[in-house]
Amino acid sequence: MKFACCRRSWASFWLAPLTSRRLVLLFATSLAAATPPIVIQNATILTVTKGTLNGSVLIRDGKIAEVGEKIMVPADAKVIDASGQFVMPGIIDCHSHIAADSINEGSVSVSSMVGIEDVLNPDDISIYRAVAGGVTTANILHGSANSIGGKCTVIKLRWGKDAHDMIFQGALPGIKFALGENPKRAGNPTGQRIGAGNVQGRYPATRMGVEDVIREAFNEAKVYQQSWKDYNEKIAQGEQPAAPRRDLKLEPLVEVLEGKRLVHAHCYRADEILMLLRVADDYGFKIRTLQHVLEGYKVAKEIAAHGAGASTFSDWWAYKLEAFDAIPYNAAIMTRKGVLVSLNSDSDELMRHLNDEAAKTMKYGGLNETEALSLVTINPAKQLMIDNRVGSIEVGKDADLTIFDKHPLSNYAKVEKVFIDGQLYFDRASDLADRPERETEKKKLMDKEKEEQKKNAPVGRGRPAA
Amino acid sequence: MKRLPILVLLMASALFAAPPGAIAIHNARVIPVSGPAIAKGTVVLRNGLIEAVGADVTVPADAWVIEGDGLTVYPGLIDALSTFGLPDAAPAPSGGGARGATPQPATPAPAQPAAPPARGPEDRPFTTSWLKAADLVKPTDRRLESVRAEGYTTAVTFPNHGIFAGQGAIVNLAGETSGAMVVAEGAGQYLTFTTTPGFGGGFPNSLMGVLAYVRQVYLDADHYKQAKQFYAAHSRGTPRPEFDRALEGVLESSRVLLPATRRVEVDRLLRFANELHVEALLYGLPEGYRSADLLKNAAATALVSLKWPEKAKDSDPEEPDSIRVLEVRDHAPSTPAVLARSGVRFALYSGGIDRRADLFKAVKRAIDAGLAPEDALRAMTLTPAEIYGVADRLGSIEKGKIANLVVTKGDLFVDKTEVKYVFVDGVKFEPVEEPPPAKPGAPEASNPGENQ
Amino acid sequence: MKSLLVGFLLILPLAAADDDSFLIRGATVHPVASAEIQNGSVLVQNGKIVGIGRNIAAPKGTRIVEGKGLHVYPGMIDSATEMGLSEIGAVRESVDVGEIGKFDPQLRAEIAINPSSEHIPVTRANGITSVIAMPMSAGGGGGFGRGGGGSIITGQAALVHLDGWTWEEMEIKKSAGMGMRFPIIPPPPGRFFGADFPGAKTFTESKKDYETELRELKEFFENARRYQKAKAAKEKGFQTDLKYEAMLPVLEGKEPLIVMASRERAIRDAVQFADQQKVRVIIADPRELGKMGTELKSRNIPAILGPTLALPLHEDDPYDAAYTLPDQFYKAGVKFAFGSFDNQFARDLPYQAAMAVAFGLPVDEAVKAVTLNAAQIWGVADRIGSIEEGKSADLMVTDGDPLEAKTQVKLLYIKGKTVDLDNRHKRLYEKYLNRP
Repeated sequence: MKFACCRRSWASFWLAPLTSRRLVLLFATSLAAATPPIVIQNATILTVTKGTLNGSVLIRDGKIAEVGEKIMVPADAKVIDASGQFVMPGIIDCHSHIAADSINEGSVSVSSMVGIEDVLNPDDISIYRAVAGGVTTANILHGSANSIGGKCTVIKLRWGKDAHDMIFQGALPGIKFALGENPKRAGNPTGQRIGAGNVQGRYPATRMGVEDVIREAFNEAKVYQQSWKDYNEKIAQGEQPAAPRRDLKLEPLVEVLEGKRLVHAHCYRADEILMLLRVADDYGFKIRTLQHVLEGYKVAKEIAAHGAGASTFSDWWAYKLEAFDAIPYNAAIMTRKGVLVSLNSDSDELMRHLNDEAAKTMKYGGLNETEALSLVTINPAKQLMIDNRVGSIEVGKDADLTIFDKHPLSNYAKVEKVFIDGQLYFDRASDLADRPERETEKKKLMDKEKEEQKKNAPVGRGRPAA
Repeated sequence: MKRLPILVLLMASALFAAPPGAIAIHNARVIPVSGPAIAKGTVVLRNGLIEAVGADVTVPADAWVIEGDGLTVYPGLIDALSTFGLPDAAPAPSGGGARGATPQPATPAPAQPAAPPARGPEDRPFTTSWLKAADLVKPTDRRLESVRAEGYTTAVTFPNHGIFAGQGAIVNLAGETSGAMVVAEGAGQYLTFTTTPGFGGGFPNSLMGVLAYVRQVYLDADHYKQAKQFYAAHSRGTPRPEFDRALEGVLESSRVLLPATRRVEVDRLLRFANELHVEALLYGLPEGYRSADLLKNAAATALVSLKWPEKAKDSDPEEPDSIRVLEVRDHAPSTPAVLARSGVRFALYSGGIDRRADLFKAVKRAIDAGLAPEDALRAMTLTPAEIYGVADRLGSIEKGKIANLVVTKGDLFVDKTEVKYVFVDGVKFEPVEEPPPAKPGAPEASNPGENQ
Repeated sequence: MKSLLVGFLLILPLAAADDDSFLIRGATVHPVASAEIQNGSVLVQNGKIVGIGRNIAAPKGTRIVEGKGLHVYPGMIDSATEMGLSEIGAVRESVDVGEIGKFDPQLRAEIAINPSSEHIPVTRANGITSVIAMPMSAGGGGGFGRGGGGSIITGQAALVHLDGWTWEEMEIKKSAGMGMRFPIIPPPPGRFFGADFPGAKTFTESKKDYETELRELKEFFENARRYQKAKAAKEKGFQTDLKYEAMLPVLEGKEPLIVMASRERAIRDAVQFADQQKVRVIIADPRELGKMGTELKSRNIPAILGPTLALPLHEDDPYDAAYTLPDQFYKAGVKFAFGSFDNQFARDLPYQAAMAVAFGLPVDEAVKAVTLNAAQIWGVADRIGSIEEGKSADLMVTDGDPLEAKTQVKLLYIKGKTVDLDNRHKRLYEKYLNRP
């Protein structure tokens, strides 16, 4: 159970928490570097940005080399017949907490010194499960216990690779902000009024305090930024001044001020959303995405004007007070009002069927198929500024592709194959075929351990007292 | 040639100073580790040092002679990562406010830090980097007798509580005084990834926070060093940098020991050490068998715990562990063999195992998993001495080195083998097999590399 | 402002008596109990279905609903919810799901159902016409921090229509079953925030707790039986005990125990318990079937399946373990219905069913599991759950397959009355879509 953001998952409290380990007998994910080209043919291809066609996709060197109704199949190509199936761009989740050994540095109101990249965990089984749900890229965020949280990292779900090899190279790093109930809860865990009794807590305990924490931090960051500017100027003038102390808490904030780090801000209510936009305006930086942003529909105009993206849930509501005005039409209204919108999961489970989440926007607010699919592909790619690489099926982009057996906006669809960088990371047929072998392997290990235990029972510690 | 009755020799073991004159182990099989085995050789000890070793060594006239027929002489084992010699293992971590706080006594403290929660790296949470094992080691550690019975004559011992727990020392596992035990200090700074539990406690309460803290401390140490140098040159007119014993302690340690259980941690911490420009020893390594490529590429050194992971004793039979966990438990003992094959330098450490039979079984499992017995021996003698830069003094049977020896009847790491004598600084001990019963209520010292 | 006012008026239940008679014609009718009828009609009179077929003649003056291009299904039934018992999950004052006390059979969910809950119109807008509202135990899956930690018998679940001015008007069956959490040995807690779970118990300690609870449970049943005998014997000095009184229908086999049992061991225990106590049980929220398929089938024990959209229990489980669970139950021949075990996600009930179809469950079975199966399990198949003559006219009219998210529910009838599909969400949508 991750104390990430919001959703109370029914019964998740007492079900076995899943350990984060890799499957042993994974089918071959590691096609050698010099893989032959792959042609996926006879498929319905949902490019998202260039319409829908029946035809083929050619993958070469990890990139999409050709898309068309009829393409020449290279002699050395491996051909995948996808008759009756649907190819779409790999799904992008703009808000996830998988693949990390820790999520929240909940102790301090500003935890910008910490970062997910330090604790990426490639053994988390949630990675494989998410790939099996068609996800190829995810924004791994710090939790929401702090007004200014830790640094975030965009990864590709290259299951089986080491932590560093999962990082989406070229994606700008991010930082988590959080507004509203979560960051103030740590300050006021009992829900009592501060000052009313023996309530001791971490500042802030109100939305007023949340704004103040953010402003104070950026004030500090500006001073810090200036101290380095002064230092560098003196160096440039040939002086030998004492260097300022490097401060890992303030450095990411300076990067935010300089546009080198993207702000992903957890928020719910219209008032706090607007507050943050205005604080950012005052300090001269941009909010890249508003996360959850469940009342975004109330201030869509202001969000669009600021240029912030909105990454929201399909239909979550009422799990806490600040989610009581949440509506499933949020994505649609914001889309109609010119906001760049994505749907995210914030959940190991929901992450596995973001396509179904997208389909709900057709019901609630009447988005069309392309608009709906965009919410989980090209739009999050734009929000993360990686749309030159992923998010649609276009020649030259990374071959991150998900093949469904039915239209992905059908609730009856399931994922058959997933490619990342042109490599096969999930194949349902192989997964099914490998199951008996894995069971045998497990039984063997358990039996062997029982034998060993008899043989190697330690004599030390725990012997009966003489 | 005088031949002393055994009784006299036994009495000698009660004294912690090397006996006058020499001791010669005559006509024994000698395994110097640094060179080929000598089928019938003699080792002469004098003044706590090895005076001579070889097949043709003459027994000095004044030597007390031990007839070595049927005996094998090995270098004393070195526990490459240990708390042996630190009776109370270490003081408890400081939860914060460490800077400028009064020194804490080296006694076990309650698990909850009394200090107010740390508000950030500046409060130096869980930091006692200035503590030195060399200052804390005591010959009265009750464990010494039983670990000598395992063949250990030396331990690289560390304070072990906190993120920056303190500095290790290479200590011999006997001595009349604390000072007499210390072979060398500066073994390195011992790190654990300690966090405050849950929400609401101090900083850090996550692994991310710990790593950020360590990183900030190294930046601060660097800055502190520069500031001090600057101040030394420009004292007049410059505000004086605040004394920071946490940073002093870090600056004193050129080497850090970092806990690495899983492959991902090996990967993470090798990168981390590289970023911090510190020499790192990774310890633990039950998943070393699947991390050899990373260690090899980084030319890293590993300290492998002999306390192989085991199934939890009190577990639900209807809740089987995952295949990954089962695999790690099955494969962990193959780590030394895999590292040896891959050319990764490694030492083995006891992980707190303080019974000979358990230790030998643990080593045997590594040998059964493919580790050559001579590689096992080296990883418990000469290699740790090399790692800690004391191979000129310890780790092999060579002339001039410290007279730390294990004399066995049979091969080391074989179940039935009897450890006849152990020499520490030339002083002979006859092992007592059973560890003394623990005093009721006495806190059990925790050991490094456990519960990582 | 005006639109808001209109919206407000629209959500009031329409009570006009003449509203509950009509004929839907020209639609594809999915009776569930029988094959679908193309170009079919459904005749409703006084809230009851009186005719179904291709050519149904309606009495003169009957209101005609043109169903061309539309589909008619029975209204869906969510077999486990907190409907009306909880408004905002994290606001304790708005939550009445779990009471204090280990054995609370006397509690009645029905009387705590808030008919004005915003969840009701939100849920029914997606075609759900009736739900089980169930008292749950915080200790056994009723959610985190919801009070009433560790209840074993949680109280009486009510089956209600999602329409009515009062809970009395909503009532279908006031006590459809007795909620119960079967004692378990909790799985190892693992790690929490990267640290050991605070206060985690060892297996031995947990086992001891479990055995204690089992003993208490048995004792409670024994006491209830003694009470039953004393009452039957009209013993002198007999005094009414509300707890034991509430247990009588259970002991008499009139009312099933709804046993929350996720793991195979708990299911096994629950089945054994049912055998010993000779009571009827329904297994609720099972997360695995294991070897229990034949056991359940041979005893005719049905199950309320929890969210299909769930993670596998164990790391080594197939990634689709939860998706395939309904099909496993189907293949084992165990009767089941779906329950959301929730509030905010009750409206997503059909998508839980759809995912099961994606992973093997025949689509007709999925539809049954949100309609007729539920009615059968709750013993009201003579009244709801399918489009059959004589049943309550709980109907949804859609523009497509109701298990597909993109499908719109166009019309909804409960007891033949047209139900307003407006709700809080639509009102906020319209208000803010039109924000200048």
